[in-house]
Amino acid sequence: MSVFHDEVEIEDFEYDEDAETFYFPCPCGDRFAITKEDLENGEEVATCPSCSLIVRVIYDQELFTSGEVVEAPSESRLELLQS
Amino acid sequence: METHSRLEFCLHSWGANSYGQLGQGHVEDQPAPRLADTAALQSRAVRTVCGGGGHSVVITDSGEVFVCGQNHRGQLGLGNSADVSTLQLCPVLNHRITQTACGWDFTLLLTDCGQLLACGSNAFGQLGVAQNVTHSADLLVIENLKKPIVSVAAGLRHALAVADSGCVYQWGTGLFSHAKRALSPHPVPPHLSSKVPSLVPGLDQRTAHLVAAGSAHCVCLTGDGDLFLWGSNKHGQLTTTERFLSSPTLLRRSLLNGEKILNVWSGWTHTVAQTESGRVFTWGRGDYGQLGRRASASRDPEQQSAGPVTEGGSQEVCLPAEVTALHGATQITCGSEHNLAIVGGCLLSWGWNEHGMCGDGSQADVFHPQLVPGLKPLLIGCGAGHSMAVCAASTGSRQNSPPTSLE
Repeated sequence: MSVFHDEVEIEDFEYDEDAETFYFPCPCGDRFAITKEDLENGEEVATCPSCSLIVRVIYDQELFTSGEVVEAPSESRLELLQS
Repeated sequence: METHSRLEFCLHSWGANSYGQLGQGHVEDQPAPRLADTAALQSRAVRTVCGGGGHSVVITDSGEVFVCGQNHRGQLGLGNSADVSTLQLCPVLNHRITQTACGWDFTLLLTDCGQLLACGSNAFGQLGVAQNVTHSADLLVIENLKKPIVSVAAGLRHALAVADSGCVYQWGTGLFSHAKRALSPHPVPPHLSSKVPSLVPGLDQRTAHLVAAGSAHCVCLTGDGDLFLWGSNKHGQLTTTERFLSSPTLLRRSLLNGEKILNVWSGWTHTVAQTESGRVFTWGRGDYGQLGRRASASRDPEQQSAGPVTEGGSQEVCLPAEVTALHGATQITCGSEHNLAIVGGCLLSWGWNEHGMCGDGSQADVFHPQLVPGLKPLLIGCGAGHSMAVCAASTGSRQNSPPTSLE
């Protein structure tokens, strides 16, 4: 099945700097994952290592291909921007 | 749900088990009910079972807490971050715990004094504590709440609580980005962007009774049987045509046969409610069978436009409809995309089943409530992708017929 379980904005993913990977909760309890490199290459499908579900990642590829990588803002950064 | 039974009991668990959340001493998924290792509980009676993304919490009648599963953010409250695959006693010191709500990777515990304790991830402020911590493996006290708290709920990255006064509080920024995208350029209201408990507006004339949380939506049941919904409506879970509702919005009682609602539960993107006559209605996302009924139902005759159209081609249902097989259910619980119910003393399951969370030994989704045979369920609970049932210890042969009353 190539039907997406959902479409999720990149800003809703949590970024792990060590793994250079973005994560979002999967209903099975594991996490959808997509690497920074995948995004730089224009990949838009985040997969779950434990099940068949996949999500389409909504993001602006230009932000990931122009040399300096712009990370998705974490919630804490959003808070900082607000305050 | 409570049981004060002192009968011999056993805990069965099944479904996803990547982190040992089934409490069976291993990390293999289980497509059918299997006994959990309850040695740590000795023979204590269980009051509540509940699960998060990858962890499980068992509360005993005496107010003790037992935990297992994923612990990378300290969501087990054990003071460390190591996963455990059998139930372990969580040190709650001199507190007696009466209720729990498990979020994706955090845990809330309600004490018999009406105080809320929290542990696990705080990346989105979901612990509701003023401390600036990313996560906590030790239980922290949530201040800023008008005590005592009587009901608590946890979503992926947000939480809700009802005070004895009938006020509803919300914290955790899990709905913030949804709100920002939906409301821009208007500002996001405080209760959707706060990392400490923030009073939810729009319910001040009402007395809240209990709360439930979806992945990114909120449900509040009032003492007089009305339901209020807010947050993400991406899958029709709010029964409205808007994509997002920032403040509590009344669900018209006419949509539920004109009856008062007595109880409500929420999966990640679907909702289940039971009315005063015992009827059970479901709405929201239904493409894996979450609604327990044919998902081609009803458009609201009072609204012109159809509900939100999704890109994935999934069939969305925007209006509540009854699931007659659940009439008179005595307990219901929702996982992320699956559900359990006790009806007539029998355990039923339906919904997403890729990890065997419906307990029928298969991985095929279950579109109508179906019997999980051989168990005498007393108490049920779900995590995101796993299921748990405290059952009367079977003394006779296993059978599919309804067991006699155990109360």
